Amino acid sequence: MLEIRGISSSRRWHKKKIWIFIGIFLFLVFVRISKGSLYKDFFYFISKPFWPGQFQKEVILKSLDQESLIELNLLKKDNMRLREILSLQKSSNNNNISAAVISRKTGGWWRQIILNKGLKDGVEIGSTVTGPGGLLGRVNDISLFTSSVTLLTSPESKLGVWVDRSKINGLMVGTGDDHASLILYSKDADIKVGDFVSSSPASSLLPPNIPIGIVQSINETLQSKKTAKILLLANPHVIDWVQILKVNI
Amino acid sequence: MNKFFTKKFSITSFIFIPIIFLLHPSWIGFLGVQPYWPLFWLLPWSMMNGSINGLVFGLFLGLILDSLTLDNNFSQIPGLIFCGFLFGRIKFHSDILVGHFRYGLICSFGSFLCGTLYLSQILFRNFSDTNFLMFIPGVKNILAEVFLTGLFAPFICSQLLRMFKFSRKKLR
Repeated sequence: MLEIRGISSSRRWHKKKIWIFIGIFLFLVFVRISKGSLYKDFFYFISKPFWPGQFQKEVILKSLDQESLIELNLLKKDNMRLREILSLQKSSNNNNISAAVISRKTGGWWRQIILNKGLKDGVEIGSTVTGPGGLLGRVNDISLFTSSVTLLTSPESKLGVWVDRSKINGLMVGTGDDHASLILYSKDADIKVGDFVSSSPASSLLPPNIPIGIVQSINETLQSKKTAKILLLANPHVIDWVQILKVNI
Repeated sequence: MNKFFTKKFSITSFIFIPIIFLLHPSWIGFLGVQPYWPLFWLLPWSMMNGSINGLVFGLFLGLILDSLTLDNNFSQIPGLIFCGFLFGRIKFHSDILVGHFRYGLICSFGSFLCGTLYLSQILFRNFSDTNFLMFIPGVKNILAEVFLTGLFAPFICSQLLRMFKFSRKKLR
């Protein structure tokens, strides 16, 4: 009698165990679909005491001055060019959001940063993220308190950029390395080592004239296109504060 | 509460994997690459609980870690499922010292497997245009990850295995 009871209770427990497993599985599927918002928000709270301090701002302000000078120069040129033809796009810097980096994956397969500003602060998917030096990436996912940014070096990142000197448009792709690669779909494209690369005024994803990087080397071995290795100006390995640009393009 | 943590240590430690994955402590890294953290937990878990459990928790880990990364087109699930199943078939070694180094080799192999599966997804996805640009950084990532995972596995895995065994004894 006792044995029968034992067997039936073990079966009941076994059934219960299966339901627990199914429950965990469904919960994890929910986590997967919600892109880990719960985890990210949890991480937001536990990492709060370790966020970068205010003293970082001084270092950043110096870099920002340098960045502003380059940007100003670019904007002047762009303005003159546009006055000659037609004004195409407008951008404003009034709606920038400052955010701290709370998680950083800048090496290996995953190249992303998580910021401490999210849906409640008005961050939107697709917003541009810049740091001292220039463009870092775009917001790809948001939770209530955090936003995740795909860096320019991620294999998922593909952006339209242009070479400032010769005014050629090209596609900048992340290669999973610390550099990005610029692909120019013309064998005769005029590009030199040291050329400055910025966001394209024709891009529908980014505001124009955000500094991105400098051409470090050029590969001309391919028949139909040129590729160039780009040294990025903004270094996500060390940046602790970034700006999220809420620009209507 | 304390009792719960000691008894269910294997499950509670599972929660910390995504946190350390997000934390990404750069001082441990090599060439900007981190050890493949989930394998350190998956190996002792699968060795203790068998292939099926390893496979299921490989899937669970993959689901969580995929949700934390932004790469929608690539997944860590195939590698982790395969490793979970494979690790479950490994028996304990009687010699403690040999066992220690065995963890390093097994985790290195697992990391190589996961890295290769991930790289093949990236290459397959970008087959037409930028395939050649991603191959060399990908190989570099795999090699650095294999080295680091193999280096840390003997310390972390044997400690975790001891803790899992201890918590199981307590449970009995």
